Amino acid sequence: MANQKIKVVGLKKAFGDLEVLKGIDLEISSGEVVCIIGPSGSGKSTFLRCLNRLEEPTAGEIFVDGESITSNGADVDRVRRHLGMVFQQFNLFPHYTVKQNLMFAPVELKLKTPVEAEKTAIRLLDRVGLGDKVDAKPRELSGGQQQRVAIARALAMEPDIMLFDEPTSALDPEMVSEVLDVMRELAEEGMTMVIVTHEMGFAHDVADRVIFIDDGVIVEQGTPEQVMDHPQSVRTKSFLSKVL
Amino acid sequence: MLAGGFVTTLQVTVSSLIIAMVLGILVCLMHISHKRVLRGIAKFYIWIIRGTPMLVQAFYIYFAVPQLIQLSTGSSFRIDVFTASLITLSLNAGAYLSEIFRGSIESVDKGQMEASRSLGVSYATSMRKIILPQAVRICLPSLVNQCIITLKDSTILYAIGLGEIMYQAKIYVGRTMESFATYTWVAICFLLITSVLMLISRTVEKRMHA
Repeated sequence: MANQKIKVVGLKKAFGDLEVLKGIDLEISSGEVVCIIGPSGSGKSTFLRCLNRLEEPTAGEIFVDGESITSNGADVDRVRRHLGMVFQQFNLFPHYTVKQNLMFAPVELKLKTPVEAEKTAIRLLDRVGLGDKVDAKPRELSGGQQQRVAIARALAMEPDIMLFDEPTSALDPEMVSEVLDVMRELAEEGMTMVIVTHEMGFAHDVADRVIFIDDGVIVEQGTPEQVMDHPQSVRTKSFLSKVL
Repeated sequence: MLAGGFVTTLQVTVSSLIIAMVLGILVCLMHISHKRVLRGIAKFYIWIIRGTPMLVQAFYIYFAVPQLIQLSTGSSFRIDVFTASLITLSLNAGAYLSEIFRGSIESVDKGQMEASRSLGVSYATSMRKIILPQAVRICLPSLVNQCIITLKDSTILYAIGLGEIMYQAKIYVGRTMESFATYTWVAICFLLITSVLMLISRTVEKRMHA
């Protein structure tokens, strides 16, 4: 497949004796929006974190743009530049202003001059609706605003894949939609996205494909209609009946 | 004479603290590294220093180590008392500072390193630009506290004959019998310095939380 972005083969991850991922195979094409759902502790966050090697896989291989990122010689730092990541807890740098949060990596990695990086930062912050907060410190922002900055920070590296690890789970309910709106726009612009989420409505709306992971394996996958409206597996049915 | 003693106290304290600061950072980085050997060395060093009194450490460095060198090389070896004092105080403070630094680094949220690494920034740069600036703020109160402890502990070096303030005070009292006035003066000298340190620490802390 020419437009294949990510390919995962036989991915396993164990923490000591506890096997969290028991062999995952998956291909994601360019521009595809994939939502991963499943019960807590099912391994979905671990799977996402393996994709940019924040977790070291125990076995299996991962290819990004056809290049193995799990082989010994792989330059993880270089691969990570193409993979933006948004965390549940935002993880903004508290000692930097909002603008500096966005400028840090591009300037540090010498991809941009400070002047260019600042321009990009302001443009991105405008885009997520925070043009008036460029000089604020993260702690002065609400959770929803912080998460939008975190998305902009990941975008500042101009990634072609974005990973979201439960991006709205730490937010107060009234702030969820402002973050989802930004993500929806990104999806419409054709960004390749892998989203671990508990927002079933959002997954149903935005996903090209929904993957249900339980107990370290992919139980079921397909279009939102297939997986969420007409689930085949008993485990999927039971999970959906609890969350919908 | 007493003033001269106090100058020696300050000299040995300030120089040791500077050395200890560098040593502490090194040992701390060894302690949190993934290399088992480095971790082992750091742990062993901290274990020795924390587990023995500084008086014993001072005697060991001033008397025991020179004898060991003398026995093993066959030629006579002496170490001057200021150098021995400097080594003792540096090694001592270095161990405690490394633990203070380690505690501060480990108390920075794990997500900070992950966020920086996920942007493609290397471990070393993430440590320098993201983790350490936050750790410095956290460690500041304990750092000042250790400076105070080291300053006060420097009086122990009187036992190996360093001409610091207590040593000079003892001689002075022996000559003049002015115990009360002399030791009051000594205590006030320490209070002055430690008060200034505490004041600085409080101001800096306030500014950082503002």
